[in-house]
Amino acid sequence: MGRRAFIGLVVGGTAGTLLTPIPWKLTDDASIWSQNWPWIPRVPNGDFELKPSLSKLDNSGVGVNVVTVKGRPCAVYGNPEHPLSRGGISSLAVNEAELLYSPSRVQSPLKREGDSLIPISWDDAKALLAEKLKAAGSDVACVSGDDTGSGTDVFSAFVAAAGSKLCFYMPAEQVDAGRAWQRLGGQGMVGYDIENADMVLAIGADIFESWGTHVRNAQAFNKANPMGGEQAMRVVYASPIKNRGAAVADAWVPVLPGSEAALALGIAYHLIQGGATSGGPGFEAFRSAVRSGYSPEKVQQATGLTPEQVADLAKRLASAKRPLVIAGSSFGQGGGQNAVAAGLALNLLLGRLNKAGGIYALPEAPAVVQGSMPRRQILANDFVDYMLKVGAEQTKAPAVLLAYEANPAYALPQTELMAQALDKVGFLVSFSSFMDETAAMADLVLPTPLVMERTEDMYTPYGSGWVNYTVATPVIAPVFDAVPAADVLLQVASGLGHNLGFESFEDVVKAKAEALNAMGGFAAGAKAEPWKVRVGGGAPSSSGVSDAVQAGKAWVSMATVNASGLSLAKAAAGQAAAPAGGEFPLVLAPLFELNVGSSKVAIPPHNVSTIRDTEAANGHFFVRMNSATASKYGTGQGKQVTIASKTGSIKARVSIDEGVMDGVVAAPLGFGHTAWDKFAQNKGDNVSKVLTVASEPGVAAPFWAGSMVKIA
Amino acid sequence: MSVQREFHTKWGMVIDLDKCTGCGACMVACQVENNIAPTPDASDMTRVLTWMLVYKLENKQKFPNYDVAYLPRPCMQCENPSCVPVCPVVATTKDEEGGIVSQIYPRCIGCRYCMAACPYHVRYFNWFDPQWPAGMEKTLTPFSSTRPRGVVEKCHFCHHRFMAAKEKARATGGEPMKLAEDAYIPACVEACPTGALIFGNLKDPTHQVAKLSHSKNAKRLLERLGGKPQVYYMSKRQWVLDMLDNDLGDGSHGGVTGGGNHG
Ligand code: SF4
Ligand code: SF4
Repeated sequence: MGRRAFIGLVVGGTAGTLLTPIPWKLTDDASIWSQNWPWIPRVPNGDFELKPSLSKLDNSGVGVNVVTVKGRPCAVYGNPEHPLSRGGISSLAVNEAELLYSPSRVQSPLKREGDSLIPISWDDAKALLAEKLKAAGSDVACVSGDDTGSGTDVFSAFVAAAGSKLCFYMPAEQVDAGRAWQRLGGQGMVGYDIENADMVLAIGADIFESWGTHVRNAQAFNKANPMGGEQAMRVVYASPIKNRGAAVADAWVPVLPGSEAALALGIAYHLIQGGATSGGPGFEAFRSAVRSGYSPEKVQQATGLTPEQVADLAKRLASAKRPLVIAGSSFGQGGGQNAVAAGLALNLLLGRLNKAGGIYALPEAPAVVQGSMPRRQILANDFVDYMLKVGAEQTKAPAVLLAYEANPAYALPQTELMAQALDKVGFLVSFSSFMDETAAMADLVLPTPLVMERTEDMYTPYGSGWVNYTVATPVIAPVFDAVPAADVLLQVASGLGHNLGFESFEDVVKAKAEALNAMGGFAAGAKAEPWKVRVGGGAPSSSGVSDAVQAGKAWVSMATVNASGLSLAKAAAGQAAAPAGGEFPLVLAPLFELNVGSSKVAIPPHNVSTIRDTEAANGHFFVRMNSATASKYGTGQGKQVTIASKTGSIKARVSIDEGVMDGVVAAPLGFGHTAWDKFAQNKGDNVSKVLTVASEPGVAAPFWAGSMVKIA
Repeated sequence: MSVQREFHTKWGMVIDLDKCTGCGACMVACQVENNIAPTPDASDMTRVLTWMLVYKLENKQKFPNYDVAYLPRPCMQCENPSCVPVCPVVATTKDEEGGIVSQIYPRCIGCRYCMAACPYHVRYFNWFDPQWPAGMEKTLTPFSSTRPRGVVEKCHFCHHRFMAAKEKARATGGEPMKLAEDAYIPACVEACPTGALIFGNLKDPTHQVAKLSHSKNAKRLLERLGGKPQVYYMSKRQWVLDMLDNDLGDGSHGGVTGGGNHG
């Protein structure tokens, strides 16, 4: 299909696809004859339609169907045809329609005047942005909270055109994973074929809540564990707290946060003793690094697990037919590269590369925006490292920092120090849908539409076992005066004489769709399931990307890239070591629970009622520890505590939770918002404040899993 | 007085407690579908309405023998409901084929007898008129009418979806009284990412729920009370099954998400 035809289809797509053959009528009799209370809002009357869209509020990458009545979105369902949803949806994405009218929506461009932000027109906002960017020249940086959309390509191309290399991703699991994969010599991106595995060992990685394509992961578990039926996949969770995923896993192995790499390499030790070998390059170096640095004794000190427990995990993996190891940070960030690299090493030792239920090397998205930075180049920049240097005045703060779908003022570790560093930025621009902490301190706030109000794309979110591409077209015109960030930037770029090759973001998406055609693929659906195709089943007829995505479907490709460069040589960096102890004797285990938000979105109004009174109540929130730890440190249920680290402190109450390891304080992220609205505010404190950045052993990059704290 | 009546179709849910992660997607899906207004403070029991509520069950053991399970609790749609006979104005009934316990808001006089009678705490009273943040009322769904203060409300198994499924069957030459398993699925069941909830006709042997409700691992909440819920729970863990004999509302199981506003 040519480009012209695709344009027509995308525009046609905005008219909506009626997915139900028979529209539902307003059906409940009670609804009809009880509309007799004129003083409360009435419900709309009429047929509804389902229009395909995409949710990017969390990493799950689910395709959704938006329920609209007379064109207005009112609910969001998981799209049963979308392979990352299969009808499931996260507790965040499910109220995305309501978020159109979140009290925190930025309703127009705002510029700073003294202590306040005042509304300005888009023309003035663009002029101001252009003026500041022109004056800044190459002294410009950008940070993006989105690594799957082409919007970030536009930002990186802009920054590059200005002569700067400073384009960053916000810290996230996929960022560490991307770097770890590269360190092992991997090309492209790593993919995990979860659906075809018969045993999944999740080390740290909270695969049903924060890690990767978590809704799809949960669906894979669901389908492989039919109620009352034959179990086709076992799941073992290694995590510092018996978290939500561990509650449904076949086994839970408590492991100290920050020691995920030690556990994985401890398992590797036993596998190697049992004769495992990768047959690939770097094995000898790996074996000797594992033997010297990750002996059972050392691993016990680092993880808290006995040699027998670790050996048992090795045995389980070795005896599974199609085992898959997924390692990462237990809270979706800060876990560094070693854990992921060690997990990948286990998969290689188990012979799981390019095998059903194993790992695959997937191609990166083709570059279409002129001068955009390849993913590899952005991954080489570290935002936390950069901001630490800015804070310490070892690096000059940029004249302009563009924050795209990112809330660094809230979500970076050692938050208060980072906010001070952000303060040094000459001119902070926040491209955001919501008045978040970063927007609140910005010099210019440019409202972006929510995904259902704009054209947006998504290429293969981290975790996915196959290439996939989904495009959302607007379900509704922006309800406030918001303009897609990439469109704003493309306009400003051409005003400044930078040619990025496109005039609108829609054209970028079209070009990307066309470029992807070269990979060859098909439209996924209930009868074209990527995991079945991966094992040679039900080969669907190939289709062009445009055809697939214009119907709201995910376009999927089984393309892989050459993985022969993978080497184990650098997979066992550092040495297993016990937590440092000393002045800060407790290990902090942050919890990432999506119902209270993500690093992008604070607790949405409809999610508040999911917060238990053992999690937050009366303005405070709770940290969790087991009774032995509590009594050791002289505290107990409901007691107020200050949790302090080297870099900050938070106030909380104690909730006794016997699912937390000895010597660990578990604390939920997502609370303590100072911006946003009454639904997110007045609830506890921000745990990111006490996350302490250290240098990851053997890598020398920022690392903040296993932050140490004390009860002050 | 017993109001038990037999129906050909008995809609029921089977909830696998070994599959629920307690993520809360079902709770939020229900609120959106059924136009429940949000509230800024979950601990304000006078305002929190959670037709679907996920409880946290704990085995009371210390680390590392501790275990946890999450229990999603919709209305049990009891075969022999204790709420129905106490209503002085017949605002809650169990008289429709399918066996869903209705709640007819315009009839409700707010006496709250039904709330006191329900051992599962599934009923909520509107102490206040619902309030949406400015503009958010534009996202109300057409599926459930809004309820003013003074009225009791609860889960109705997404009754509008039942009506829609029957209508679709009629329009397409199907049998509205013999719906296929996937023709009618409530919002919470549809949303759950781990598939912990399944739904169907407990009397239709071709529906999974009919088979699973007879499993040796299936049990209902507080069976001894004789309400005969149409919601079954499954677990392979004995301690979890044992817990189902206990009152969820006594607080001793910890982690009760709101839901304390019953009389
Ligand atoms: S959506 Fe499913 S997994 Fe999540 S709390 Fe509800 S029943 Fe449990
Ligand atoms: S069946 Fe419908 S009304 Fe009942 S809990 Fe589920 S979503 Fe809510």
